[in-house]
Amino acid sequence: MFKYGAIHPRYETSPEVEKIVEAVSVCYQCGTCSGSCPVAPAGGMDYTPRTIMRMIQAGMEDEVLSSETVWTCSACYMCAVRCPRDIDITDVMIRLRNLALIRGYPARTGIAHRGKVYNVDFMRIVRKWGRMYEPELVIRYHLKTNPLNLLGMAPVGLKMLLKRKLRLLPELLDGRLEVRGIFYRLEKEEARKEREARKERKE
Amino acid sequence: MKYAYFPGCSQSSTAEEYNRSLLAVARALGTMELIEIPDWNCCGATPAAAIVSPTLPTSLAARNLSIARDMGMDEIVAPCAACYKNLRKASHDLNENLELRAQARGTLANRDLGRAPEVRHPLDVIVNDVGLDNIPVKKLLQGLRVACYYGCLLSRPAGGFDDPEYPQSMDRLMEKLGAEAVSWVYKTKCCGGGIYMFHEHVSFSMSADVLVHAKAAGANVVAVGCPFCQLLLDLYQDKLAAIKSTTFNLPIIFFTQLMGLAMDLDRAELGLEKLIVSPFALLAQTVDAPEGTFEKKAPSRAAKLKRWGEA
Repeated sequence: MFKYGAIHPRYETSPEVEKIVEAVSVCYQCGTCSGSCPVAPAGGMDYTPRTIMRMIQAGMEDEVLSSETVWTCSACYMCAVRCPRDIDITDVMIRLRNLALIRGYPARTGIAHRGKVYNVDFMRIVRKWGRMYEPELVIRYHLKTNPLNLLGMAPVGLKMLLKRKLRLLPELLDGRLEVRGIFYRLEKEEARKEREARKERKE
Repeated sequence: MKYAYFPGCSQSSTAEEYNRSLLAVARALGTMELIEIPDWNCCGATPAAAIVSPTLPTSLAARNLSIARDMGMDEIVAPCAACYKNLRKASHDLNENLELRAQARGTLANRDLGRAPEVRHPLDVIVNDVGLDNIPVKKLLQGLRVACYYGCLLSRPAGGFDDPEYPQSMDRLMEKLGAEAVSWVYKTKCCGGGIYMFHEHVSFSMSADVLVHAKAAGANVVAVGCPFCQLLLDLYQDKLAAIKSTTFNLPIIFFTQLMGLAMDLDRAELGLEKLIVSPFALLAQTVDAPEGTFEKKAPSRAAKLKRWGEA
């Protein structure tokens, strides 16, 4: 396997990065992914999936991890089922999100930032309650991005309230401490791996 | 047969009618007994893999799978497409990948992982286990031209119960119920439900395309099997219509609700009144119209093409 780190010294390697680079190394740029993507033609991506694959091969870590694309991929798996090289592109995108979070990307504004806030808050609620609690997610998300949008949400909220489609109180799970435990132990495990990878990089 | 039932978070809020109608249909079928997994937790949908570690969804699912295993169940039914995909993937990974299995066991204190149960979608169970011929159809869904919308996660990633590009199981089910399943190209195109919170205009333009194609194929109703698709296409239909400067007036109905109608179940159990785009006017003109209003014969290919041209 190529070590792109040798070409681009700032491309810090770790087992996570290697998994992504290895998966993408077989891409021959046919563009089936970009042609299948429903988000790119709707104007939702700054780089198409094919471009992202090439950028990974070229070791452009900063550009890839701060791109909008990694966050706006809707994870529909159309590219993954069509890829003639059998790359699970959706999985790669989600791994890139993870990496972007661990390494402290993306920027403070824009779609990438909003995507990050949404993903982080979604899981914060799952961690807290063990199940989804939609009103809290909507309120948290809008307060962190643009509180004025909450006013725009009011008609939709009212519609849902009238149809009794809105959960008013969170469901209390007996096992919510257990769920928190899953997050906690996995976090510790990941921190350990990251420390080891950092040590390896120094050597 | 008995199945462990994993409702998922949406089934008690935005898609409560899906839960209600599925349980009513399962009760009426008799051969599909659903027993809820006690104290199940959220599968994490798509955001789970982005946070902490890409293996977080596997660990979250492992807890549910292990509770179902303790119930003595070999199969789980998950009606929400996102839960279905997450649990199915986790079940597969836990049984195949020893490294992941060890990691998942490490994150679950005091829980044992046996062989993970298989995860199924209710559509899969109804079409392949119960069997189309064993559905007691009492009232044919005459006059309904259904666009079966599978969305992304019902048939993808590959390896599920139907073709990832052009699935047919829901179409066959609808034809069995006496409705006409229109053929259209957007049946597995994504509605953008996963990104609509933070990228509204893009996901709206994606969903609007879906409805435009459903309408162009001559459908008067869209059948779905995913709470996200239903929410986006139904709740925001007026906004989607405004984007395309048109009106859709397409009720977005869960396939279980249509099954309940055809099986002539108590309508209060189906939750039809909870749909934002009301289906009642359409139902009065079609399903509830006197028999013989519509031809029983399915329209010819030429008729379908003509309709396509008109739209």
